[in-house]
Parts: sequence; structure tokens; C-alpha cells
Amino acid sequence: MEHARHVFRVVLVLGAVVALVMVTRGFMVPKSYGMYGPYRYDNVVEQMNVRVPVHRGAAACGECHDDQSKKRAAGSHKNVSCEICHGPLGLHVKDDGSVEPPPIDRSYVLCARCHRKIDGRPARFPQVVLDQHVNGPVEGNVCLTCHDPHSPKL
Amino acid sequence: MAPNSTTSLPVIQPEPESATPSEYGRRRFLSSVLKLSGGALVFIAGGSVADALAAVAGKPGGEAYRWDEHLYAYLIDTSKCIGCGSCVRACAAENKVPDGFYRTWIERYVIGMEQTHVDSPNGGKEGFGPVHVGFTATKSFFVPKMCNHCKATPCVQVCPVGASYRTKDGVVMVDSERCIGCAYCVQACPFGSRFISPVTHTAEKCTWCYHRVTKGLKPACVEVCPTGTRQFGDLKREDDPVRRAIAQDRVAVLQGHLLTEPQCYYLHLDKEVR
Repeated sequence: MEHARHVFRVVLVLGAVVALVMVTRGFMVPKSYGMYGPYRYDNVVEQMNVRVPVHRGAAACGECHDDQSKKRAAGSHKNVSCEICHGPLGLHVKDDGSVEPPPIDRSYVLCARCHRKIDGRPARFPQVVLDQHVNGPVEGNVCLTCHDPHSPKL
Repeated sequence: MAPNSTTSLPVIQPEPESATPSEYGRRRFLSSVLKLSGGALVFIAGGSVADALAAVAGKPGGEAYRWDEHLYAYLIDTSKCIGCGSCVRACAAENKVPDGFYRTWIERYVIGMEQTHVDSPNGGKEGFGPVHVGFTATKSFFVPKMCNHCKATPCVQVCPVGASYRTKDGVVMVDSERCIGCAYCVQACPFGSRFISPVTHTAEKCTWCYHRVTKGLKPACVEVCPTGTRQFGDLKREDDPVRRAIAQDRVAVLQGHLLTEPQCYYLHLDKEVR
């Protein structure tokens, strides 16, 4: 029994170390870690709900703005989502129901983003050389004097 | 030196036994106890993970949405892109991307026989202006870029804390709660799709708008694309247009030689695009 006392002492220390590691691990490692791989599974659910979608699509805009929506859907801008020019619907109608006026950009710069003739655009896409297309200075809302952006064909 | 000199090498003698029999026994006993306890630790740790797995394996991905029923892929037709930058603006608005950083961006390639010019002013966020290159350009086009959500993704492999991962439905994401902002993944990504957010100081990247696609919506960039350049699809749906395009059309991926198996497929990709 003289030598056995050393053994008990060592076993006690080792047991304490094991217990400490287990307890620390229990606190440090997140619950869902390692369920499907070396990552925290709870984050998948967190990412699903990270925020409310702000882009809602043209159909949602049409619920209130029926006239513009129908006009756009019938014209050559039918594939141009409302939210491209007017910004996301979620910033216009907030979650609490309050309404902020959306940006209405009448500048030629907005039109030029798509229709100015520059290197890189596919040839079949309708585009214009600004100074040749406009009779006079290219400035302000010059495009809107002839074109209706909701149905731009003359 | 003569080749037979090896015969003169000294012979290693066993060291004389200095410890008493009882001490030797204790030493051997301690080493076995240490090994045993190590094994037990691994066993216990492994057991707890298995328990957790069994407890929650019933409903992966929440209640309404099942992530094992989807496998997403992305298709970009570069011949359709007009470089309007709507996707970049929509992405920034949808995901609150900090100014000067991009989860998706557009590059313009202006190519001649001898030279290639690539530009992406402000990521293409405000569109593109005229460009003056010092050579005769023979072709030019826009290429939208973003995270390729690779199957064999290098960014996940290098993460030291398990913050980067790829979901069962094929989306590579970052757990900002675990991310320590070491930026190994930023360097590992061959497409430059990641950045360290100046707001959270953690890695940030495209999530294919996971908060939208899990609700049946398209990613914001696809939602606003006016030309149909960007398409989002589900490879587990038989009638999916993206699935059909990948199966039947001649699609390419960026940097295929790196074998990262990107899940963003490109139509009409030029050899100059990296």
C-alpha cells in the first residue's frame, strides 16, 4: 500500500484535468458545432433570417401602382424592374407600414447607364451616342422631353 | 574513404539499467495512464457530438425550409451583360455592403490582338463610361463576377476556427460570430470574392442572398438584372432552366485549372477572362 498512494494521487490529478477539459469544452464549443461539419449549424438558420428582403419585385410594386406597372409591362422596358430606377421597395414602404418617397431620378445619367454607346455593350442592345442623339446640350432631364421611361418607345 | 570502412563503425551498446525495478514500473504505468486518458477524452468528446447529431438530425435547415431538397447554381451569360451596374447597386442595398467593397462587381474587357484592358470603376456600381485604350480593340464585353460558391472551396479549407462552411444546399457562408478576421480565406480565394468588412472586422462575401433564396425569392442581383444575364437555379429541380443550361449548353467556369469546382457557370466566356 506504500506505493499505491502515489498512484491514487496521480489518478486524482488526471481525473481533475479530464473533468476540467470536459467542463471547459462544454462552455466553449457552441451547441450546434460539428453537427453537419466543422461549423456552427445554428448560423445557417441565422443567415436565413439575417434581414428582411428589401427587393420585393415588380409585382409587389404593382399592388399600389397599377397604372405605371401595366404601362411598363406592355412596353419595351418590361424586363426592367421598378427597383432598378426607384430603389428597393423595402426602403420605400418600411416594415412598420410608414412610407418614404422613393428616389425618382430624371437625369439623363440614369438613362445613359444602360443606353449610352460605350465599349463593352452587346451590339444588338439599343444604345445611342449622346451628343449625336440629342439636338442640343446633353444635360438635366433631356431624355424625358421625348421618352417616357415607363414606355420609352416614341 | 574506402568502401569497406563501414565495418569500423562503433556498435551501440544498450545503456546500463540505472533505475530500480519499482521506479521503472511506475514510469511505464504513468505513460500508459496518460495514453489511456487521452484516448478516453477523444472518446467522450466524440460521443457528445454524435449525441447532438442524433438529437437534431430530424429537421435540418429549420421548419419550413429543407436544405437537403435544394442544390443551387448560378448562370451568367456574358454576351447579354450591358454593364448597367444594377446588380451591384441592388447587392449593396440588399446586403448593406460597405462603400468601396463589393460582394459582386462587373469587369469590362477591351481586347485587341496584342493587348487587353480591364477596368471596373467602383465595381461598376454606377455603370461604365467611355474608355480610351492605346490600342486597336477588336472586341469588348462585360463580365459580372461574384463568389463562385465552389464545391471544393479553398476558403473553407483554410479557416482555422470553422467560421467558413458550405451548406448542404451549396452555399458558402461565413459565421461572423466565430470569424476572427484573420483573412486567410481572403487570400485563399482565387477569385477575390471575399473581404474583411470595415464594420464587423470579419470576413464577408456573397451568400447568394441566403435570406431570400430560402424564402423562394431570387438573389437581389438576379431580381434586378434587366437583360437576363444573371440566372439563379436549383439543380435538384428537373425543369430548372439553369440546370438545363448546365446540362445541355457549353458552359465554362472561371479558373477551372484550380479544380475548385465553381458553381457559377458562364456562357460565352472569353479566354482572356480570369
